Amino acid sequence: MAHRDPRRLSRRQFGILGTQVSGAVVAVLLGIPIIGFLLSPLFRQQQAVWRKVGDIAGVPDGEPTKFEVAFPQDVWTTAEENLAVYVVKSGANTRVFSNVCTHMQCPVRWDPALHQFLCPCHGGLYDINGLNVGGPPPKPLPQYVHRIDGTTLFVENRFTEEI
Amino acid sequence: MGRRLGAAYDWFDERTAIRSLLRKGLYEAVPVRGAWFYTLGSATLVLILLQLITGIFLTLLFVPSVTEAWQSLNYLKEHDAFGSIVRGIHLWSAYILLFVIGLHMVRTFFSGSYKRPRELNWVTGVGLFVLVLGMAITGAFLPWDQAAYWTAVVVTNIPYYTPFIGSFIRALWRGADTVGPITLSRTFGIHVWLLPAILFPLIGAHLALLRKHGEFGSYINYRGAYKSREGVDVPPAPAQRPIEPPYPAAPSEELWAAPLQTEDFYPHQTFKDGIVSAALVVVVFILAVAIGAPLEAIADPATTSYTPVPEWFFLPLDELLVLVPQQLIPLVLVLPTGGVLLLLALPFIDRGPERNPFERPAVMVPGAFAVLFVVILTLLGSGRLFNL
Repeated sequence: MAHRDPRRLSRRQFGILGTQVSGAVVAVLLGIPIIGFLLSPLFRQQQAVWRKVGDIAGVPDGEPTKFEVAFPQDVWTTAEENLAVYVVKSGANTRVFSNVCTHMQCPVRWDPALHQFLCPCHGGLYDINGLNVGGPPPKPLPQYVHRIDGTTLFVENRFTEEI
Repeated sequence: MGRRLGAAYDWFDERTAIRSLLRKGLYEAVPVRGAWFYTLGSATLVLILLQLITGIFLTLLFVPSVTEAWQSLNYLKEHDAFGSIVRGIHLWSAYILLFVIGLHMVRTFFSGSYKRPRELNWVTGVGLFVLVLGMAITGAFLPWDQAAYWTAVVVTNIPYYTPFIGSFIRALWRGADTVGPITLSRTFGIHVWLLPAILFPLIGAHLALLRKHGEFGSYINYRGAYKSREGVDVPPAPAQRPIEPPYPAAPSEELWAAPLQTEDFYPHQTFKDGIVSAALVVVVFILAVAIGAPLEAIADPATTSYTPVPEWFFLPLDELLVLVPQQLIPLVLVLPTGGVLLLLALPFIDRGPERNPFERPAVMVPGAFAVLFVVILTLLGSGRLFNL
Protein backbone atom coordinates (compact mmCIF):
# COMPACT_ATOMS: atom_id res chain seq x y z
CA MET A 1 0.00 0.00 0.00
CA ALA A 2 1.37 3.30 -1.05
CA HIS A 3 2.24 5.87 1.55
CA ARG A 4 -0.57 8.43 1.88
CA ASP A 5 -0.50 11.91 3.32
CA PRO A 6 -3.00 11.79 6.27
CA ARG A 7 -3.84 15.47 5.74
CA ARG A 8 -5.26 14.71 2.33
CA LEU A 9 -8.74 13.31 1.82
CA SER A 10 -8.91 9.72 0.74
CA ARG A 11 -11.08 8.89 -2.26
CA ARG A 12 -13.65 7.39 0.15
CA GLN A 13 -13.69 10.40 2.47
CA PHE A 14 -14.09 12.63 -0.53
CA GLY A 15 -17.07 10.57 -1.62
CA ILE A 16 -18.71 10.82 1.81
CA LEU A 17 -18.11 14.55 1.99
CA GLY A 18 -19.47 15.07 -1.51
CA THR A 19 -22.64 13.10 -0.74
CA GLN A 20 -23.27 15.08 2.43
CA VAL A 21 -22.59 18.42 0.77
CA SER A 22 -24.96 17.52 -2.07
CA GLY A 23 -27.69 16.69 0.43
CA ALA A 24 -27.10 19.89 2.36
CA VAL A 25 -27.26 22.02 -0.81
CA VAL A 26 -30.61 20.49 -1.79
CA ALA A 27 -31.98 20.84 1.75
CA VAL A 28 -31.00 24.51 2.00
CA LEU A 29 -32.21 25.45 -1.48
CA LEU A 30 -35.58 23.79 -0.83
CA GLY A 31 -35.84 24.72 2.82
CA ILE A 32 -35.39 28.48 2.55
CA PRO A 33 -38.22 29.18 0.11
CA ILE A 34 -40.57 26.67 1.79
CA ILE A 35 -40.07 28.10 5.26
CA GLY A 36 -40.33 31.63 3.87
CA PHE A 37 -43.55 30.63 2.10
CA LEU A 38 -44.99 29.31 5.36
CA LEU A 39 -44.03 32.39 7.32
CA SER A 40 -44.83 35.09 4.76
CA PRO A 41 -48.46 35.65 5.86
CA LEU A 42 -47.13 36.56 9.29
CA PHE A 43 -45.27 39.55 7.94
CA ARG A 44 -48.11 40.79 5.79
CA GLN A 45 -49.60 44.05 6.98
CA GLN A 46 -53.36 43.84 7.19
CA GLN A 47 -54.90 46.62 5.16
CA ALA A 48 -56.72 49.21 7.22
CA VAL A 49 -60.33 49.41 6.05
CA TRP A 50 -62.94 51.79 7.41
CA ARG A 51 -66.59 50.94 6.99
CA LYS A 52 -69.78 52.78 7.79
CA VAL A 53 -71.83 50.88 10.38
CA GLY A 54 -74.87 53.16 10.31
CA ASP A 55 -76.80 55.75 12.21
CA ILE A 56 -76.61 55.17 15.95
CA ALA A 57 -78.93 58.00 16.97
CA GLY A 58 -81.65 55.48 17.81
CA VAL A 59 -79.50 53.32 20.08
CA PRO A 60 -81.08 53.43 23.54
CA ASP A 61 -78.99 54.37 26.52
CA GLY A 62 -77.69 51.41 28.54
CA GLU A 63 -78.86 48.78 26.07
CA PRO A 64 -76.27 47.12 23.82
CA THR A 65 -77.49 47.16 20.23
CA LYS A 66 -76.17 44.89 17.53
CA PHE A 67 -75.13 46.08 14.08
CA GLU A 68 -73.53 44.12 11.29
CA VAL A 69 -70.83 45.53 9.09
CA ALA A 70 -69.20 43.95 6.03
CA PHE A 71 -65.44 43.87 5.69
CA PRO A 72 -63.36 42.49 2.84
CA GLN A 73 -62.37 38.96 3.71
CA ASP A 74 -58.63 39.48 3.61
CA VAL A 75 -55.99 38.44 1.08
CA TRP A 76 -57.19 37.42 -2.39
CA THR A 77 -60.91 36.90 -1.88
CA THR A 78 -63.17 39.61 -3.21
CA ALA A 79 -66.01 38.39 -1.01
CA GLU A 80 -66.89 40.27 2.13
CA GLU A 81 -67.85 38.86 5.48
CA ASN A 82 -70.16 40.37 8.05
CA LEU A 83 -68.82 41.12 11.49
CA ALA A 84 -70.96 41.92 14.51
CA VAL A 85 -70.67 45.25 16.30
CA TYR A 86 -72.32 45.98 19.65
CA VAL A 87 -72.89 49.67 20.28
CA VAL A 88 -73.26 50.55 23.95
CA LYS A 89 -74.26 54.07 24.96
CA SER A 90 -74.01 55.33 28.48
CA GLY A 91 -74.65 59.03 28.65
CA ALA A 92 -72.23 60.85 26.37
CA ASN A 93 -69.96 57.83 26.21
CA THR A 94 -70.28 55.38 23.31
CA ARG A 95 -68.43 52.08 23.20
CA VAL A 96 -68.19 49.82 20.17
CA PHE A 97 -67.66 46.18 21.07
CA SER A 98 -66.94 43.16 18.94
CA ASN A 99 -68.71 39.85 19.50
CA VAL A 100 -65.38 38.02 19.74
CA CYS A 101 -64.78 36.40 23.12
CA THR A 102 -61.25 36.89 24.44
CA HIS A 103 -61.13 33.29 25.67
CA MET A 104 -61.45 31.19 22.48
CA GLN A 105 -62.96 33.82 20.14
CA CYS A 106 -66.45 32.36 20.13
CA PRO A 107 -69.37 34.68 19.28
CA VAL A 108 -70.70 36.37 22.43
CA ARG A 109 -74.21 37.81 22.58
CA TRP A 110 -75.94 40.33 24.81
CA ASP A 111 -78.30 38.56 27.15
CA PRO A 112 -80.94 41.05 28.33
CA ALA A 113 -82.15 38.73 31.10
CA LEU A 114 -78.67 38.35 32.57
CA HIS A 115 -77.83 41.96 31.69
CA GLN A 116 -74.45 40.62 30.60
CA PHE A 117 -72.63 39.57 27.46
CA LEU A 118 -72.60 35.78 27.43
CA CYS A 119 -70.26 33.48 25.52
CA PRO A 120 -72.15 30.29 24.62
CA CYS A 121 -69.03 28.15 24.23
CA HIS A 122 -67.45 28.10 27.67
CA GLY A 123 -69.68 30.37 29.72
CA GLY A 124 -67.64 33.58 29.65
CA LEU A 125 -69.46 36.66 31.02
CA TYR A 126 -68.82 40.35 30.42
CA ASP A 127 -70.69 43.25 31.99
CA ILE A 128 -72.20 46.08 29.98
CA ASN A 129 -68.85 47.86 30.01
CA GLY A 130 -67.22 44.83 28.43
CA LEU A 131 -65.38 43.89 31.58
CA ASN A 132 -64.78 40.14 31.92
CA VAL A 133 -66.71 39.35 35.08
CA GLY A 134 -67.15 35.58 34.97
CA GLY A 135 -65.97 32.35 33.39
CA PRO A 136 -62.68 31.80 31.63
CA PRO A 137 -62.15 35.00 29.51
CA PRO A 138 -58.79 36.52 30.47
CA LYS A 139 -59.43 40.01 29.04
CA PRO A 140 -62.29 42.49 28.56
CA LEU A 141 -64.46 42.28 25.44
CA PRO A 142 -62.52 43.77 22.52
CA GLN A 143 -63.53 47.20 21.19
CA TYR A 144 -63.30 48.32 17.59
CA VAL A 145 -61.25 51.33 16.57
CA HIS A 146 -64.06 53.69 15.54
CA ARG A 147 -65.12 57.26 14.90
CA ILE A 148 -68.51 58.93 15.03
CA ASP A 149 -69.41 61.68 12.56
CA GLY A 150 -72.50 63.30 14.00
CA THR A 151 -74.58 60.20 14.66
CA THR A 152 -72.97 57.99 12.00
CA LEU A 153 -70.65 55.28 13.25
CA PHE A 154 -67.58 54.14 11.29
CA VAL A 155 -65.34 51.27 12.39
CA GLU A 156 -61.93 50.06 11.29
CA ASN A 157 -61.18 46.35 10.92
CA ARG A 158 -59.04 46.17 14.03
CA PHE A 159 -59.45 46.23 17.77
CA THR A 160 -58.08 48.82 20.18
CA GLU A 161 -56.14 46.04 21.85
CA GLU A 162 -54.99 42.82 20.25
CA ILE A 163 -56.55 39.62 21.47
CA MET B 1 -55.18 -22.50 -19.68
CA GLY B 2 -54.31 -23.27 -16.06
CA ARG B 3 -50.87 -24.23 -17.21
CA ARG B 4 -50.48 -20.97 -19.08
CA LEU B 5 -51.52 -19.04 -15.99
CA GLY B 6 -49.08 -21.07 -13.92
CA ALA B 7 -46.30 -20.27 -16.35
CA ALA B 8 -47.20 -16.58 -16.26
CA TYR B 9 -47.15 -16.71 -12.48
CA ASP B 10 -43.72 -18.36 -12.59
CA TRP B 11 -42.50 -15.66 -14.94
CA PHE B 12 -43.81 -12.97 -12.65
CA ASP B 13 -42.41 -14.69 -9.55
CA GLU B 14 -38.96 -14.94 -11.08
CA ARG B 15 -38.94 -11.20 -11.49
CA THR B 16 -40.69 -10.10 -8.28
CA ALA B 17 -40.41 -12.96 -5.76
CA ILE B 18 -44.16 -12.56 -5.27
CA ARG B 19 -44.54 -16.16 -4.12
CA SER B 20 -42.28 -15.92 -1.10
CA LEU B 21 -43.65 -12.47 -0.33
CA LEU B 22 -47.19 -13.84 -0.17
CA ARG B 23 -46.06 -16.85 1.87
CA LYS B 24 -44.39 -14.57 4.36
CA GLY B 25 -47.39 -12.31 4.47
CA LEU B 26 -50.06 -14.94 4.81
CA TYR B 27 -48.60 -17.75 6.88
CA GLU B 28 -47.41 -15.92 9.95
CA ALA B 29 -48.10 -17.79 13.20
CA VAL B 30 -50.61 -15.93 15.30
CA PRO B 31 -52.04 -16.78 18.73
CA VAL B 32 -55.31 -18.75 18.75
CA ARG B 33 -56.68 -17.47 22.04
CA GLY B 34 -57.90 -13.89 22.26
CA ALA B 35 -57.67 -13.52 18.53
CA TRP B 36 -60.96 -11.59 18.31
CA PHE B 37 -59.27 -8.84 20.31
CA TYR B 38 -56.51 -8.72 17.72
CA THR B 39 -58.97 -7.74 15.01
CA LEU B 40 -58.94 -4.14 16.29
CA GLY B 41 -55.69 -3.32 14.51
CA SER B 42 -56.87 -4.56 11.13
CA ALA B 43 -60.23 -2.83 11.68
CA THR B 44 -58.32 0.42 12.29
CA LEU B 45 -56.41 -0.11 9.07
CA VAL B 46 -59.58 -0.85 7.09
CA LEU B 47 -61.27 2.28 8.44
CA ILE B 48 -58.20 4.39 7.58
CA LEU B 49 -58.24 2.99 4.05
CA LEU B 50 -61.94 3.85 3.87
CA GLN B 51 -60.94 7.41 4.76
CA LEU B 52 -58.29 7.43 2.05
CA ILE B 53 -60.61 6.15 -0.66
CA THR B 54 -63.64 8.32 0.17
CA GLY B 55 -61.32 11.28 0.80
CA ILE B 56 -59.74 10.98 -2.64
CA PHE B 57 -63.17 10.95 -4.25
CA LEU B 58 -64.39 13.90 -2.20
CA THR B 59 -61.54 16.03 -3.58
CA LEU B 60 -63.07 15.46 -7.03
CA LEU B 61 -65.79 17.89 -6.00
CA PHE B 62 -64.86 19.84 -2.87
CA VAL B 63 -63.49 23.38 -3.38
CA PRO B 64 -61.23 24.48 -0.51
CA SER B 65 -62.20 28.14 -0.60
CA VAL B 66 -64.10 30.27 1.90
CA THR B 67 -66.50 31.39 -0.79
CA GLU B 68 -67.11 27.96 -2.30
CA ALA B 69 -66.37 25.19 0.21
CA TRP B 70 -69.85 25.32 1.72
CA GLN B 71 -71.50 25.78 -1.69
CA SER B 72 -69.73 22.76 -3.14
CA LEU B 73 -70.86 20.55 -0.26
CA ASN B 74 -74.34 22.02 -0.40
CA TYR B 75 -74.45 21.10 -4.09
CA LEU B 76 -73.45 17.58 -3.07
CA LYS B 77 -76.21 17.49 -0.50
CA GLU B 78 -78.89 18.84 -2.83
CA HIS B 79 -78.00 17.26 -6.14
CA ASP B 80 -75.79 14.23 -5.66
CA ALA B 81 -77.24 11.33 -3.71
CA PHE B 82 -74.25 9.03 -4.21
CA GLY B 83 -71.80 11.81 -3.45
CA SER B 84 -73.67 12.41 -0.21
CA ILE B 85 -73.23 8.75 0.70
CA VAL B 86 -69.50 9.02 -0.02
CA ARG B 87 -69.29 12.04 2.27
CA GLY B 88 -71.39 10.19 4.84
CA ILE B 89 -69.00 7.23 4.74
CA HIS B 90 -66.05 9.61 5.13
CA LEU B 91 -67.61 11.18 8.23
CA TRP B 92 -69.00 8.09 9.93
CA SER B 93 -65.98 5.92 9.31
CA ALA B 94 -63.89 8.73 10.81
CA TYR B 95 -66.07 8.72 13.93
CA ILE B 96 -65.92 4.94 14.24
CA LEU B 97 -62.19 4.96 13.45
CA LEU B 98 -61.58 7.18 16.48
CA PHE B 99 -63.44 4.65 18.63
CA VAL B 100 -61.69 1.62 17.21
CA ILE B 101 -58.18 3.08 17.32
CA GLY B 102 -58.88 4.00 20.94
CA LEU B 103 -59.97 0.42 21.72
CA HIS B 104 -56.91 -0.92 19.89
CA MET B 105 -54.74 1.24 22.10
CA VAL B 106 -56.55 0.22 25.29
CA ARG B 107 -56.21 -3.46 24.33
CA THR B 108 -52.48 -3.04 23.71
CA PHE B 109 -52.09 -1.20 26.99
CA PHE B 110 -54.03 -3.89 28.83
CA SER B 111 -52.04 -6.81 27.46
CA GLY B 112 -48.69 -5.09 27.91
CA SER B 113 -47.87 -5.61 24.25
CA TYR B 114 -45.58 -2.59 24.24
CA LYS B 115 -42.83 -4.39 26.12
CA ARG B 116 -39.39 -5.15 24.79
CA PRO B 117 -38.69 -5.59 21.94
CA ARG B 118 -41.90 -3.97 20.75
CA GLU B 119 -41.50 -0.51 22.27
CA LEU B 120 -41.39 1.10 18.85
CA ASN B 121 -44.59 -0.67 17.75
CA TRP B 122 -46.23 1.24 20.59
CA VAL B 123 -44.42 4.51 19.84
CA THR B 124 -45.42 4.42 16.16
CA GLY B 125 -48.95 3.53 17.30
CA VAL B 126 -49.11 6.59 19.54
CA GLY B 127 -47.88 8.64 16.57
CA LEU B 128 -50.66 7.17 14.42
CA PHE B 129 -53.24 7.92 17.10
CA VAL B 130 -52.14 11.57 17.27
CA LEU B 131 -52.14 11.83 13.47
CA VAL B 132 -55.65 10.36 13.26
CA LEU B 133 -56.83 12.91 15.81
CA GLY B 134 -55.13 15.60 13.71
CA MET B 135 -56.95 14.32 10.64
CA ALA B 136 -60.26 14.41 12.50
CA ILE B 137 -59.76 17.97 13.72
CA THR B 138 -58.50 19.38 10.41
CA GLY B 139 -61.28 17.55 8.58
CA ALA B 140 -63.83 19.22 10.83
CA PHE B 141 -62.73 22.67 9.55
CA LEU B 142 -63.34 21.98 5.89
CA PRO B 143 -67.12 22.16 5.26
CA TRP B 144 -67.06 25.85 6.31
CA ASP B 145 -70.53 25.70 7.79
CA GLN B 146 -71.16 27.19 11.21
CA ALA B 147 -69.92 24.09 13.04
CA ALA B 148 -66.75 23.96 10.92
CA TYR B 149 -66.03 27.68 11.16
CA TRP B 150 -66.33 27.90 14.93
CA THR B 151 -64.37 24.67 15.36
CA ALA B 152 -61.64 26.30 13.27
CA VAL B 153 -61.77 29.47 15.36
CA VAL B 154 -61.59 27.70 18.72
CA VAL B 155 -59.07 25.02 17.74
CA THR B 156 -56.64 27.44 16.08
CA ASN B 157 -56.98 29.76 19.07
CA ILE B 158 -55.87 27.15 21.60
CA PRO B 159 -52.14 27.37 20.61
CA TYR B 160 -52.42 31.12 21.30
CA TYR B 161 -51.97 30.20 24.96
CA THR B 162 -48.53 28.70 24.35
CA PRO B 163 -46.15 30.83 26.41
CA PHE B 164 -44.08 33.38 24.41
CA ILE B 165 -44.79 32.09 20.89
CA GLY B 166 -48.58 31.63 21.14
CA SER B 167 -49.72 34.37 18.76
CA PHE B 168 -47.02 33.28 16.32
CA ILE B 169 -48.30 29.67 16.21
CA ARG B 170 -51.89 30.82 15.89
CA ALA B 171 -51.03 33.14 13.00
CA LEU B 172 -48.93 30.42 11.36
CA TRP B 173 -51.93 28.08 11.23
CA ARG B 174 -54.49 30.75 10.40
CA GLY B 175 -52.21 32.48 7.91
CA ALA B 176 -53.43 35.74 9.45
CA ASP B 177 -54.58 37.04 12.82
CA THR B 178 -58.10 35.83 12.17
CA VAL B 179 -59.56 32.71 10.57
CA GLY B 180 -59.92 33.34 6.86
CA PRO B 181 -59.08 32.17 3.33
CA ILE B 182 -55.51 31.09 4.12
CA THR B 183 -56.72 29.13 7.17
CA LEU B 184 -58.94 27.00 4.95
CA SER B 185 -56.26 26.52 2.26
CA ARG B 186 -53.67 25.54 4.82
CA THR B 187 -55.96 23.23 6.75
CA PHE B 188 -57.06 21.56 3.53
CA GLY B 189 -53.41 21.02 2.54
CA ILE B 190 -52.62 19.66 6.00
CA HIS B 191 -55.64 17.35 5.88
CA VAL B 192 -55.19 15.87 2.41
CA TRP B 193 -51.41 15.94 2.01
CA LEU B 194 -49.26 16.80 4.98
CA LEU B 195 -50.77 14.50 7.60
CA PRO B 196 -51.42 11.57 5.21
CA ALA B 197 -47.86 11.87 3.90
CA ILE B 198 -46.69 11.15 7.45
CA LEU B 199 -49.55 8.83 8.40
CA PHE B 200 -49.22 6.23 5.66
CA PRO B 201 -45.45 5.65 5.89
CA LEU B 202 -45.92 5.39 9.66
CA ILE B 203 -48.58 2.71 9.13
CA GLY B 204 -46.00 0.92 6.99
CA ALA B 205 -43.46 1.12 9.81
CA HIS B 206 -46.06 0.00 12.37
CA LEU B 207 -46.93 -3.08 10.28
CA ALA B 208 -43.29 -3.84 9.42
CA LEU B 209 -42.42 -3.80 13.12
CA LEU B 210 -45.44 -5.97 13.90
CA ARG B 211 -44.26 -8.55 11.39
CA LYS B 212 -40.64 -8.28 12.49
CA HIS B 213 -41.43 -9.12 16.10
CA GLY B 214 -44.46 -11.31 15.58
CA GLU B 215 -47.62 -11.59 17.63
CA PHE B 216 -46.76 -12.61 21.17
CA GLY B 217 -50.33 -12.92 22.27
CA SER B 218 -51.44 -11.71 25.63
CA TYR B 219 -51.05 -13.12 29.11
CA ILE B 220 -53.86 -15.62 28.55
CA ASN B 221 -51.74 -17.36 25.91
CA TYR B 222 -49.12 -18.24 28.51
CA ARG B 223 -50.99 -18.54 31.78
CA GLY B 224 -49.89 -21.37 34.02
CA ALA B 225 -47.64 -22.91 31.43
CA TYR B 226 -44.24 -22.14 32.89
CA LYS B 227 -42.66 -20.29 35.76
CA SER B 228 -39.50 -18.34 35.20
CA ARG B 229 -36.97 -17.44 37.89
CA GLU B 230 -38.85 -14.21 38.48
CA GLY B 231 -42.00 -16.21 39.12
CA VAL B 232 -43.53 -14.98 35.87
CA ASP B 233 -45.64 -17.38 33.88
CA VAL B 234 -43.84 -18.06 30.66
CA PRO B 235 -43.91 -21.13 28.45
CA PRO B 236 -40.92 -22.42 26.52
CA ALA B 237 -41.07 -21.98 22.79
CA PRO B 238 -42.99 -24.78 21.07
CA ALA B 239 -40.50 -26.75 19.06
CA GLN B 240 -42.47 -26.78 15.85
CA ARG B 241 -42.71 -23.02 15.59
CA PRO B 242 -39.67 -21.26 16.95
CA ILE B 243 -40.45 -17.61 17.11
CA GLU B 244 -37.92 -14.91 17.61
CA PRO B 245 -37.13 -12.71 19.39
CA PRO B 246 -36.99 -13.61 23.05
CA TYR B 247 -39.95 -13.05 25.27
CA PRO B 248 -39.98 -11.74 27.87
CA ALA B 249 -37.09 -9.34 28.22
CA ALA B 250 -35.45 -11.11 31.13
CA PRO B 251 -31.82 -12.07 30.45
CA SER B 252 -32.20 -15.83 30.41
CA GLU B 253 -31.92 -18.30 27.59
CA GLU B 254 -34.84 -20.41 28.87
CA LEU B 255 -37.31 -17.63 28.32
CA TRP B 256 -37.71 -17.82 24.58
CA ALA B 257 -41.34 -18.20 23.93
CA ALA B 258 -44.27 -17.97 21.64
CA PRO B 259 -47.95 -18.36 22.44
CA LEU B 260 -48.78 -21.98 23.28
CA GLN B 261 -51.27 -22.40 20.50
CA THR B 262 -50.80 -20.65 17.19
CA GLU B 263 -52.40 -20.87 13.80
CA ASP B 264 -51.76 -19.39 10.40
CA PHE B 265 -52.62 -15.75 9.85
CA TYR B 266 -54.36 -16.76 6.64
CA PRO B 267 -57.14 -17.78 6.65
CA HIS B 268 -57.75 -18.06 10.41
CA GLN B 269 -56.96 -14.55 11.61
CA THR B 270 -58.01 -12.98 8.31
CA PHE B 271 -61.41 -14.63 8.75
CA LYS B 272 -61.90 -12.89 12.10
CA ASP B 273 -60.41 -9.66 10.77
CA GLY B 274 -62.71 -9.83 7.77
CA ILE B 275 -65.85 -10.44 9.83
CA VAL B 276 -65.15 -7.54 12.19
CA SER B 277 -64.07 -5.11 9.45
CA ALA B 278 -67.00 -6.00 7.21
CA ALA B 279 -69.43 -5.57 10.12
CA LEU B 280 -67.95 -2.12 10.81
CA VAL B 281 -68.17 -1.14 7.15
CA VAL B 282 -71.81 -2.24 7.09
CA VAL B 283 -72.52 -0.09 10.16
CA VAL B 284 -70.70 2.85 8.54
CA PHE B 285 -72.68 2.41 5.35
CA ILE B 286 -76.01 2.29 7.19
CA LEU B 287 -75.16 5.44 9.16
CA ALA B 288 -73.94 7.16 5.98
CA VAL B 289 -77.22 6.44 4.20
CA ALA B 290 -79.59 6.85 7.15
CA ILE B 291 -78.05 9.90 8.80
CA GLY B 292 -75.39 11.11 6.38
CA ALA B 293 -73.01 13.97 6.97
CA PRO B 294 -74.70 17.12 8.26
CA LEU B 295 -74.15 20.53 6.69
CA GLU B 296 -75.28 23.47 8.78
CA ALA B 297 -75.84 27.05 7.59
CA ILE B 298 -72.84 28.73 5.99
CA ALA B 299 -70.19 30.22 8.31
CA ASP B 300 -71.28 33.53 9.82
CA PRO B 301 -68.77 35.37 12.04
CA ALA B 302 -71.44 37.94 12.94
CA THR B 303 -73.80 35.47 14.56
CA THR B 304 -75.10 36.23 18.02
CA SER B 305 -77.53 33.35 18.13
CA TYR B 306 -75.50 30.29 17.09
CA THR B 307 -74.12 28.12 19.87
CA PRO B 308 -70.97 26.34 18.69
CA VAL B 309 -71.02 22.69 19.69
CA PRO B 310 -67.70 20.86 19.34
CA GLU B 311 -67.26 17.51 17.62
CA TRP B 312 -67.83 14.71 20.16
CA PHE B 313 -64.18 13.67 20.15
CA PHE B 314 -63.27 17.22 21.08
CA LEU B 315 -65.62 17.26 24.10
CA PRO B 316 -63.03 16.38 26.80
CA LEU B 317 -60.80 19.26 25.69
CA ASP B 318 -63.80 21.58 25.37
CA GLU B 319 -64.87 20.73 28.91
CA LEU B 320 -61.32 21.53 30.06
CA LEU B 321 -61.72 24.92 28.40
CA VAL B 322 -64.80 25.48 30.58
CA LEU B 323 -63.26 24.19 33.80
CA VAL B 324 -59.80 25.72 33.64
CA PRO B 325 -59.84 29.21 35.21
CA GLN B 326 -58.52 32.21 33.29
CA GLN B 327 -55.16 32.24 35.08
CA LEU B 328 -54.41 28.65 34.05
CA ILE B 329 -55.61 28.50 30.42
CA PRO B 330 -52.26 27.04 29.20
CA LEU B 331 -53.29 23.89 31.12
CA VAL B 332 -55.50 22.97 28.17
CA LEU B 333 -52.29 22.64 26.17
CA VAL B 334 -50.20 21.10 28.92
CA LEU B 335 -52.59 18.26 29.81
CA PRO B 336 -53.02 16.75 26.31
CA THR B 337 -49.35 17.29 25.47
CA GLY B 338 -48.34 15.70 28.76
CA GLY B 339 -50.74 12.84 28.10
CA VAL B 340 -49.19 12.12 24.70
CA LEU B 341 -45.65 12.35 26.12
CA LEU B 342 -46.60 9.91 28.88
CA LEU B 343 -48.05 7.52 26.30
CA LEU B 344 -44.83 7.75 24.29
CA ALA B 345 -42.79 7.08 27.43
CA LEU B 346 -44.96 4.17 28.62
CA PRO B 347 -42.82 1.29 27.24
CA PHE B 348 -39.73 2.89 28.75
CA ILE B 349 -41.39 3.29 32.15
CA ASP B 350 -43.10 -0.12 32.42
CA ARG B 351 -40.10 -2.27 31.51
CA GLY B 352 -40.52 -5.40 33.62
CA PRO B 353 -41.33 -8.75 32.00
CA GLU B 354 -44.71 -8.97 33.69
CA ARG B 355 -47.58 -8.77 31.21
CA ASN B 356 -50.55 -9.83 33.30
CA PRO B 357 -52.65 -6.66 33.65
CA PHE B 358 -53.56 -7.59 37.22
CA GLU B 359 -49.89 -7.78 38.18
CA ARG B 360 -49.06 -4.34 36.80
CA PRO B 361 -50.97 -1.98 39.11
CA ALA B 362 -48.31 0.71 38.71
CA VAL B 363 -49.43 1.34 35.12
CA MET B 364 -52.96 -0.06 35.14
CA VAL B 365 -54.21 2.15 37.97
CA PRO B 366 -52.93 5.48 36.55
CA GLY B 367 -54.07 4.33 33.11
CA ALA B 368 -57.56 3.59 34.40
CA PHE B 369 -57.67 6.99 36.12
CA ALA B 370 -56.59 8.73 32.91
CA VAL B 371 -59.34 6.98 30.93
CA LEU B 372 -61.83 7.78 33.70
CA PHE B 373 -60.74 11.45 33.63
CA VAL B 374 -61.36 11.68 29.87
CA VAL B 375 -64.70 9.87 30.18
CA ILE B 376 -65.85 12.18 33.00
CA LEU B 377 -64.84 15.27 31.00
CA THR B 378 -66.79 13.91 28.03
CA LEU B 379 -69.86 13.24 30.18
CA LEU B 380 -69.67 16.69 31.79
CA GLY B 381 -69.27 18.27 28.36
CA SER B 382 -72.21 16.43 26.84
CA GLY B 383 -74.31 17.17 29.89
CA ARG B 384 -73.55 20.87 29.57
CA LEU B 385 -74.13 21.09 25.82
CA PHE B 386 -77.09 18.78 25.42
CA ASN B 387 -78.75 19.42 28.80
CA LEU B 388 -78.65 15.75 29.69
